[in-house]
Amino acid sequence: MGLSECWKQLSWIYYQYLLVTALYMLEPWERTVFNSLLVSVGAMAVYTCYVFMPQHIMAILHYFEVVQ
Amino acid sequence: MFEMTIFLYLFFFCQHFTMLLLLLYICATKLFGFIFKCIGLKRKTAEEYDKGSIIKNPNVPHNPSLYKKPFVESFEETPLMVAVLTYMGYGILTIFGYLRDFLRQWNIEKRHIARERDEQKDFVPLYQDFENFYNRNLYIRIRDNWNRPVCSVPGPKMDLIERSTPNYNWTFEYTGRVLKDVLNLGSYNYLGFAENKGPCADAAIEATQAYGVGVGSTRCEMGNLDIHEELEQLVARFLGVESSMAFGMGFATNSMNIPALTGKGCLILSDELNHASLVLGARLSSSTIRVFKHNNMQSLEKLLRDAIVHGQPRTHRPWKKILIVVEGIYSMEGSIVRLPEIIALKKHYKAYLYLDEAHSIGALGPNGKGVVDYFGLDPKDVDIMMGTFTKSFGAAGGYIGGKKELIDYLRCHSHSAVYATSMSPPVAQQIITSMKIIMGEDGTTLGADRLRQLHENTTYFRRKLHDMGLIIYGNEDSPVIPMMLYMPAKIGAFGRQMLKKNIGIVGVGFPATPIIESRARFCVSAAHTREMLNTALDAINEVGDLLQLKYSRRERPLPSLGWMSDESLLKD
Repeated sequence: MGLSECWKQLSWIYYQYLLVTALYMLEPWERTVFNSLLVSVGAMAVYTCYVFMPQHIMAILHYFEVVQ
Repeated sequence: MFEMTIFLYLFFFCQHFTMLLLLLYICATKLFGFIFKCIGLKRKTAEEYDKGSIIKNPNVPHNPSLYKKPFVESFEETPLMVAVLTYMGYGILTIFGYLRDFLRQWNIEKRHIARERDEQKDFVPLYQDFENFYNRNLYIRIRDNWNRPVCSVPGPKMDLIERSTPNYNWTFEYTGRVLKDVLNLGSYNYLGFAENKGPCADAAIEATQAYGVGVGSTRCEMGNLDIHEELEQLVARFLGVESSMAFGMGFATNSMNIPALTGKGCLILSDELNHASLVLGARLSSSTIRVFKHNNMQSLEKLLRDAIVHGQPRTHRPWKKILIVVEGIYSMEGSIVRLPEIIALKKHYKAYLYLDEAHSIGALGPNGKGVVDYFGLDPKDVDIMMGTFTKSFGAAGGYIGGKKELIDYLRCHSHSAVYATSMSPPVAQQIITSMKIIMGEDGTTLGADRLRQLHENTTYFRRKLHDMGLIIYGNEDSPVIPMMLYMPAKIGAFGRQMLKKNIGIVGVGFPATPIIESRARFCVSAAHTREMLNTALDAINEVGDLLQLKYSRRERPLPSLGWMSDESLLKD
């Protein structure tokens, strides 16, 4: 029962996302194009953070002379 | 690292330096102002420049002495987040519109729309402007919410024919089902005269049997029936003017009669949000048109003063006449015109007033006689009172009322009288019967009951929508209720969700409203019972929660104590 509630809530949130970005009015293949673009850009941002975050944090700490 | 530090230091220094300079400048001006005031060298204030003007303070919207009861209008501001998201939505739709146009141009996708022929490809393009782009890529995607075929009388409930579309609204097919008893919140049926039974329908049947349906001529030739004369005398008596004239079509009344009234060398001051018929009539008349801000009396006064002081553009001769064109109720905003102030201005500056009461005749005022009755003013102050019979009388056509000389002039010089066929007899009879019912001359209290029911319905519906947290525009007494939706996808979603709950509404988008302010427009009717309104309100509440439409940032009352909030509505 908790899972179906969760699924309904997620489905409602997806509906809000469709309404706000006006994807509600587009055909299914256009929605696929937009969603895949969004997911790929998001994935690239997450990957960049993952690869470069240690270097950034070391640089900041070095600037504030917390670590040599 | 070293260069970066220097750059950062320079950046902050420049920023602080400019802010310091700004502060110094402000202090210096204030200091000099103080010194000059002490000496006695004053600059004139805005009030002193406008010494002769009669509308003083724009923030206090009215002289309390001119208005007999409180004039409460609200146009709540768009929340910033909603505006940003709406623009983003339109941006995404525009990008996909360009993509689809590209696919259509290169024949990757099948084309359903009008396009030029191949032989015309070197001519001026017909379908490249924004209106056609908007039509192809935004309007057609949600087009199933408009032009729904109605197959019964469009009263408080109607029957719709169900349609399905195999190719995303490019073409429609009938499924064969009829949606019965759909609650009708879109028809302009303010007093509930859109019915096929009752005294009006019986009288119209008798008129058809006496006169037929077609007239077959114009008013000036052989189309002047005695039923038209009776109608015009009745309309003149209803409005309280000397004489009136009735035309077959409301749009044509405006667009064909304004050219007969003004011409070259005249000035038309029209409101920003006037209807297309008024704009068309003003443009056809070849007068100079100046537009003042919607319902803003300071803007109108400034235009009047400039017009009288400077005269016509190059020759500076005085204007032949100045005509102020306003509407009684603006149907897209739900606002009522500030008539007492306009009449005060018109008398002061000796201009003429053209009042289009399309939505307000029959719907406002204690006796249903329109916005003049609502404010308790004298009908002789308005030079030209125009209105339509479509909205409150359940018929079709328009009228113009005023002094006898004016109407006699229009009988000969109006395009509509000379060229257009006159009103059909059953339609005229419907108007006569319904007008007699409203005035109470048929011996029953049906008219007074309907007027009171409309007022109660309006107050109740507006109060409940306001309390739900939806943004509602307009005056508290207007039966036209625009509810803001803002985002383009929500227009389509709202229409479809309400139809699933068996309620038909009208959504309005770009060309009729500003691009981010799309809305759904409810028209309350005297034929709606309290149960129908409650059904509608529950549905709107549910759909409002589902679509997250409750944007209002006002304080809302607590939802309990239902009996107390109902009692406060029945205080009249």
